[in-house]
Amino acid sequence: MEQLPLPTSLGEVESLIRALYQPNQPETISQIQDVLQRLQRSPQGWQLAQSLFANRDDNIRFYAALTIIVKLNRDSPGLTEDESKELLQNIVGWVIQSLVEGSATFVVKKLCSALVTYFIHFPQHWPLCLRHFIYCLDIGRGAPVEVLDEALQTSLLVGNLEPSKLKVAVWFATSLVEEVGKTDMNSTKYLNVHNQLAKNGPDATCLLATGFSLSSDNYIQGETIHCFQAWILYAQRVPSSASALLLLDPLRQLVDPAINTFADPDLFQDTAELFSDVLSNYSAFFTEAHYASLAAVLDSPWAAEKFRQLIQRPGESIAFGLLMLAYGDARVADLIESTDEQSQRLLGRLVGLLDADGYLVGEDTIFVPALEFWSTFVETMIDAVYDPSGPNTSWRQLAEQHLRNVVMNCWGKIQWPPVEVFAEWDSSERVGFSDARKDVADLLQSVFAINGGQLVAFFADLSLQSVATRAWAEVEASVFCLGSLSDCISENAEMDAQLAKVFAAPFFEMLGGGETGIPLRLRQTGLQLIERYKEYFERHAEYLPHALNLLFIAVDDPVLAGHSARAIATLCLSCRAILTGEVEAFLGQYQRIRSGNGTTNDSNAAGGGGKVLLLDSLAEERIVLAIAGIIQAISDEGRKMDMFQQLYGFLRADFERAVNLKADPGLLNLADPNYLRGVETAAATHHQPRSQQGGISADEVALQIALRGLRCLSSMAKGMQDVMERIIDLDSEPRPLFPSQGKLAPLQADIIGLMAEVQRTFYGSSEVVVCICNIYRAGFSETEPGPFVFPPDMVTEFLVSQAAGSTPRPGTLLSLACSFVGSLYRGPKAVVLRQLERLLPWVISLLQGLSGMSLSLFSTEPEADTEVAQNGIQFVDRAMSKYPEVLFQIQPQQMLEFFFLFSLEVLNGKEPLPKGAAADFWSAFISLKPETPELQSFITNAMDQTLGPLIAQSLMQNIGGNAARSELDKLSDPLKKLVVKQVHAQQWLEQALFADNFPSKTVTSEEKTMFLKRIVALRGARATNAVVREFWLACRGSNFAYAS
Amino acid sequence: MALCQNRLQEERKQWRKDHPFGFYARPQKNAQGVLDLKIWECGIPGKEKTMWEGGLFKLTVTFPDEYPTKPPKCKFVPPLFHPNVYPSGTVCLSILNEEEAWKPAITIKQILLGVQDLLNDPNPESPAQAEAYNLFKKDRVEYEKRIKRIVRENQAP
Repeated sequence: MEQLPLPTSLGEVESLIRALYQPNQPETISQIQDVLQRLQRSPQGWQLAQSLFANRDDNIRFYAALTIIVKLNRDSPGLTEDESKELLQNIVGWVIQSLVEGSATFVVKKLCSALVTYFIHFPQHWPLCLRHFIYCLDIGRGAPVEVLDEALQTSLLVGNLEPSKLKVAVWFATSLVEEVGKTDMNSTKYLNVHNQLAKNGPDATCLLATGFSLSSDNYIQGETIHCFQAWILYAQRVPSSASALLLLDPLRQLVDPAINTFADPDLFQDTAELFSDVLSNYSAFFTEAHYASLAAVLDSPWAAEKFRQLIQRPGESIAFGLLMLAYGDARVADLIESTDEQSQRLLGRLVGLLDADGYLVGEDTIFVPALEFWSTFVETMIDAVYDPSGPNTSWRQLAEQHLRNVVMNCWGKIQWPPVEVFAEWDSSERVGFSDARKDVADLLQSVFAINGGQLVAFFADLSLQSVATRAWAEVEASVFCLGSLSDCISENAEMDAQLAKVFAAPFFEMLGGGETGIPLRLRQTGLQLIERYKEYFERHAEYLPHALNLLFIAVDDPVLAGHSARAIATLCLSCRAILTGEVEAFLGQYQRIRSGNGTTNDSNAAGGGGKVLLLDSLAEERIVLAIAGIIQAISDEGRKMDMFQQLYGFLRADFERAVNLKADPGLLNLADPNYLRGVETAAATHHQPRSQQGGISADEVALQIALRGLRCLSSMAKGMQDVMERIIDLDSEPRPLFPSQGKLAPLQADIIGLMAEVQRTFYGSSEVVVCICNIYRAGFSETEPGPFVFPPDMVTEFLVSQAAGSTPRPGTLLSLACSFVGSLYRGPKAVVLRQLERLLPWVISLLQGLSGMSLSLFSTEPEADTEVAQNGIQFVDRAMSKYPEVLFQIQPQQMLEFFFLFSLEVLNGKEPLPKGAAADFWSAFISLKPETPELQSFITNAMDQTLGPLIAQSLMQNIGGNAARSELDKLSDPLKKLVVKQVHAQQWLEQALFADNFPSKTVTSEEKTMFLKRIVALRGARATNAVVREFWLACRGSNFAYAS
Repeated sequence: MALCQNRLQEERKQWRKDHPFGFYARPQKNAQGVLDLKIWECGIPGKEKTMWEGGLFKLTVTFPDEYPTKPPKCKFVPPLFHPNVYPSGTVCLSILNEEEAWKPAITIKQILLGVQDLLNDPNPESPAQAEAYNLFKKDRVEYEKRIKRIVRENQAP
């Protein structure tokens, strides 16, 4: 950007300033700004400002004031004492001159800011700045500070000021306290500024008292209120208690005059904001007498009228409500225990804030803040009720009565509006409404701690009444409130009796959807209620079938399907033992839902007839989980197997259909729900609208049918997990891993065969692999036989048949292998060894497979798949820690060499997760205690000849700066083990530290030697980590070059 | 300890006054309904216009006695499939790390918003679980499919 030349005359400067405030191109403006700023910063800046003041143009005077501020902030240390005193006198003079000549407000205010800037830089030259300023205003010119000694008392000076001057004094006092308040209160640089400002407190009070007294001048009174607020805020923050004392007492004298401004309609808003602010943030400012005055105001006829307006139009008159709440919040502990009439009336009105006109939250804006107050009230009350030192609870009855009214009002407020009203709300109003309901639920849970029994009875009765009158919004609100208490209610005959009133025939009939006109929301909330009270149904099995039938019916409704299926799963799983008699019925329900018998009457559907209802895939998985959970609880093994076979039969047919469809796309029949289920899943997966479903290929449908089947099978496997807590005797001999007998063996063979076929058919699909892994995994935690508790040989067979490089998701397979090994250790050693002997070479071959991803044939690329690298190393680690002999006898031996080099390379790498696994592996390796001497000598040789120096080198490269800070703790482990367990450790580490390729050039040989000495001396103690960290930091230095 | 309690009271007050839409955060209650301020149950919605939209994820925030000098621990319950969430569910995020970006001035609101941002914007520099990290890096299509399913499983009510 081209620079403008510096102006040569004052006239030119003035035209530049005028041009600055006129509409112009941004580029022109910044050019002007640039030249003006150069002028301001030049030594002539002071002179310039002074000259500019001669001009009466507001913009030019404003710029002159700005120039003074800039100069003060940049160049004030260059001023002599005399110069600075003269400057002060000049600025004060300009303020008065501008005022007399009728300059614009923004000019006068900017000059006041210049005065404040002066005070911040020269507090010692202007100690009683406010008094001096008022004095000058009074005499009508800038005067030396020294003459102040002979001036009248401040109160008299202020009294003399005409309103226009008083106004400027208030502006200055406000700007003074606000700007000084922005400087760092704890810095010594500003210590004197703050001390001097506090000394101005009494003068400020004088000024404000006069401001408050000018009842004829609303403007000045309004400015006075703002100024007062700013001084209180400052007094609260001031760190020195001496200063605070100096300020607080005078300021407190102003509270009563301030209270008097409430009644002025023009000042109400400002006054309410002042009191709300101070009550919320600095309630200790007010004395008991102040609180008494405020209480009287809030109890006055004026307040009654304000309250009435607020309740009618909460959106417009919220300030009064917030004031009441701020008062309530500040006095909550007292209010709870006060039984006098005034307090009771106030509490009554605070309850009333929850019953303003209009819907939450768009119209009624006071409800949510009022709810917040009542939450505080309840929590404080709980503390008081449970406080052992406060036995006198004569107030409790009154407080509880208020709470009852609070609850009643909340119940009224959270009722959903009619659909047409709701439709007009924007998204934030809708979310706000739901959030407010959650807040109410939260409050109710707190109220429960005080009188739970009554609360439950209250909502139970309310819901019955409303059902009788068919007031659906009321029913919904009652059911919602009751639901929110579910977590609080424990087993208790009294509570159960209340709940029994609700969970009876009319409720179930209502939710059954038999009656028309029942809002969907009510059905939704009702179903949630059933889910929430699952423990009640566990105790009262007689109602369970009712509830579950209802839920199964609701699954037909696309909107309710998700919720109902979840509720079915929750209920069935927790009540499985008492539902075993219902399995046939539920299987029937499942068949009905699957086959699309639950058809909707959507006459707009293609063909004009009912369209087949497609059950949501996630809902189906939950239903399958639920039924499997009940089957698991059947004690008769024969019947259990039969039921299992029935459920499994559905899925088996799905798999066959998927495989056949893959082979013959012509089989695809979109009128058949058995095929449509694949279409639905595809749509859900890809988020395609149903209208575009025609574009899905038969191949894709086949895959989705298979995937859906696998996910359901996975749910079955989860459902079949045993939930009984069984005693495990840790001292007993490991039990044989369940030989699968009787019908179980062929069933397991069938499941595994089917999964293998699905995997073969859809061999490229990683989702298929992940699902199959989940199914296998579900059996690992089991201690009793079951259809998914496969014999170890079968699991191993599955794993080792997955070839490196061709099966997708090898990382997931390895993760499965890790879990499998963990579960195996409960079994007899021979079985474990047999599996490890087969699995270890397979795992290492997968790691070798990573090299296939690399361009070079000779180097592996551990970081190509971090999941494979991490899980592979973890697997070997687990195997070695328990049965080292298997690892060291691995054939061919090159595999072992490969693995060692691989995990060293990972340790040198940059991927945190595999690197962590490698650090763990080497820690374990270094501290191995093999049982046989042969093994011991094998390991010793390996360490001494190659591994020891290599591990040391890798660790020193990392700690020498290559590692990330977060990896240091992990890397310290093998280092500590090395020092403790290996006699040659010191020598290896020394070689590594002084090797040519050591990554850091910033540490000296002495530092390296010292580091080594300390590490060795610590003998693996915890403090090693800190030494490592320190050395790493030193190696990184400030300009560490990453050495590779 | 008192500092911790006071600060948590204040956090609760501030949260009640002003919290982002769709989130919830409340201290746990014991059997009598009395609050335990040091364990909060929170819900984080997936951000609008991201593939996480529509989901609501439960997070338990546990405050140590040294809070706010030390940061709270955030844990997804159940554990979440995400590159920066440990298999245990614990969230790995710089503002939650005492040695990194934690400052006592960080509020619960900022933490929860930070975790929400993290959902769609993982930090590949600090992987915490291999599965999600690996898919995120190597197979974005598969990664996104998984996220979509997780969002379906954790739909906001």
